Amino acid sequence: MTVVLVVDDEMGVANLLSDVLSDEGYHVIVAPNGREALRRAGEQHPDLVISDLMMPVMDGAQLKKAMEAEPDLKDIPFIIMSSMPEATVLEQCAGYALFVRKPFQIYGLIDQIKNIVDSNSSA
Amino acid sequence: MSDTPSEDDAAFARVTTGIAGLDTILQGGVFEGGIYIVQGAPGAGKTILTNQICYHHVAGGGVALFVTLLAENHARLIANLRTLSFFDEAAIPQRLSYLSGFAELRDQGLKSVVDLLRREIQRRRCTMLVIDGLVTVQASADSEQAFKEFVHSLQEIALATGCTMFLTTNVGDEISPEQTMVDGLIVLRERVGGSRTDSLLQVTKFRGSGYLRGIHSYQINSTGFLVHPRMEALLARPSRVDDFGTGRTSLGNRRLDILMGGGAPIASTTMVMGPSGVGKTTVGLQFLSESSATEPGLMFSFYETPARLRAKADAICPSLSPRLESGLVELLWQNPASDVIDAYGGRLLEAVRRRKVRRLFIDGLTGFRSSALDPSRVEHFFAALANELRALGVTTFYSLEVADILGPAIRAPIDDLSSLAENLILLRYVELRSQLYRLMSIMKVRDSAFDPSLHEFVIDAGGLIIRDTPETAEAILSSLASNGAQVRSAPWQGATSGKDGDRG
Repeated sequence: MTVVLVVDDEMGVANLLSDVLSDEGYHVIVAPNGREALRRAGEQHPDLVISDLMMPVMDGAQLKKAMEAEPDLKDIPFIIMSSMPEATVLEQCAGYALFVRKPFQIYGLIDQIKNIVDSNSSA
Repeated sequence: MSDTPSEDDAAFARVTTGIAGLDTILQGGVFEGGIYIVQGAPGAGKTILTNQICYHHVAGGGVALFVTLLAENHARLIANLRTLSFFDEAAIPQRLSYLSGFAELRDQGLKSVVDLLRREIQRRRCTMLVIDGLVTVQASADSEQAFKEFVHSLQEIALATGCTMFLTTNVGDEISPEQTMVDGLIVLRERVGGSRTDSLLQVTKFRGSGYLRGIHSYQINSTGFLVHPRMEALLARPSRVDDFGTGRTSLGNRRLDILMGGGAPIASTTMVMGPSGVGKTTVGLQFLSESSATEPGLMFSFYETPARLRAKADAICPSLSPRLESGLVELLWQNPASDVIDAYGGRLLEAVRRRKVRRLFIDGLTGFRSSALDPSRVEHFFAALANELRALGVTTFYSLEVADILGPAIRAPIDDLSSLAENLILLRYVELRSQLYRLMSIMKVRDSAFDPSLHEFVIDAGGLIIRDTPETAEAILSSLASNGAQVRSAPWQGATSGKDGDRG
């Protein structure tokens, strides 16, 4: 089963993504910040990470850098979410598979997640 | 995801409710993906209001879901809606579906209801959701925190799906947790005055936009929900700049024009006051008889029906009759005290704007007053209405009945006449030796000299005829004084509230 790690300090957003992706057949892990996400990623090696940018303890940009430093995690596709414009996000974080502007529309996001997971598994 | 600057920074789109007065109060409707509570006692009209919004929404291409959380029979609900003109059988179930969440809530709990709603919204691609009976959720929640989490989950779903939500509840006036969380709160309540009940709507919270604050009236009839925005709030600022210059408008009576210093100033307000039957309506009909294609006329009447007014025009103002026939003058009769003051005001302004009316005669100003459950706002209502009419370039003539039938003193039934009328004409009777005489005096004309002397006038087949010189009035008043009556030098001063009714 494809494992997706959802990282967001806003539990409403995290729970919604978890519920929606679970309905789509993914196994979803939820973490409230980057540090917890890094620990869970090390344990479960997700197929995809969907992370908010601004979070306490460790933010999304720091999480991405930390994963890039880990050989086992550096190739996991990373989706970054933020309520800021992408140009602002790019100043802090690069190399992500997809930028999602909050508030997002769930319908298009599901399709994009599928595409990323499919293309990564076939690569 | 799209990230163009224009889309990124755009405000949320508006979703119209389709209820004209409500969209006006909300300054264009609610926001897409927002969540709104409609609160009111049983019978206030919450279900009709939210259904009407749904039918409007699906008529515009949206998809709506109406979820009841009460043990309610949908067939009965739909049967009740069938009597209302907005109901559209064809919309069900493809564009509008009715579902019950009662069993899910009772058997599985709040999380299961959230999952049900989210899945149905996703599956149907709903753009509008109504949850009828939020109070049932509240009663089912184990704790206040659980209930708040339920509302919070709905917010996330609304935002992520673009589905605008309305939650109905009959919880009372106290601030409840869900009220602090949602994007807007629409409160319906009733106010009883004597044997009459007014239905009142108030938006007490609306995130992301200004809105018309205060209490507004609403009605429910066969067309559904009608909201009448409070005129003072709606017209807090006139819709355009008053730039109609300093010209004059004929009042349709050559002598009266002369007394007024050349007619009424364009876009001004003139009030003709006097006791019942003295000739106020006749003065107004003469004013309307000057209506033309460039100056369309409107008579907004509370007492005399169109048939009676036509007969009156035929009898004493023959030049008006062809204008009534050709449509240069429209008669708009209102049944007094059958409606709310803002409904009358709304219809009046709609008729003025529709035909670009330039000559308006409101016959029976107290018809407005008697329709107001809250008398303290009447002066504010009139001031706002008068300002808007001026801004629209309408020269307005009001008739106002005063209580005193005979004698020199008058008592106006409305305070602060100066804010309402820039020009004042007083008509009165004087009784002398078994004979009634009619006298006219101009009391005020805006920014203009005028003839302040008293003039006798008569009404005959030619209409209202003012004696050319004031001598006849002087003779009447001299005789009156010698017979023991006193004439006040400024009879309009010290006016106090009087009684209703102002047929001329």
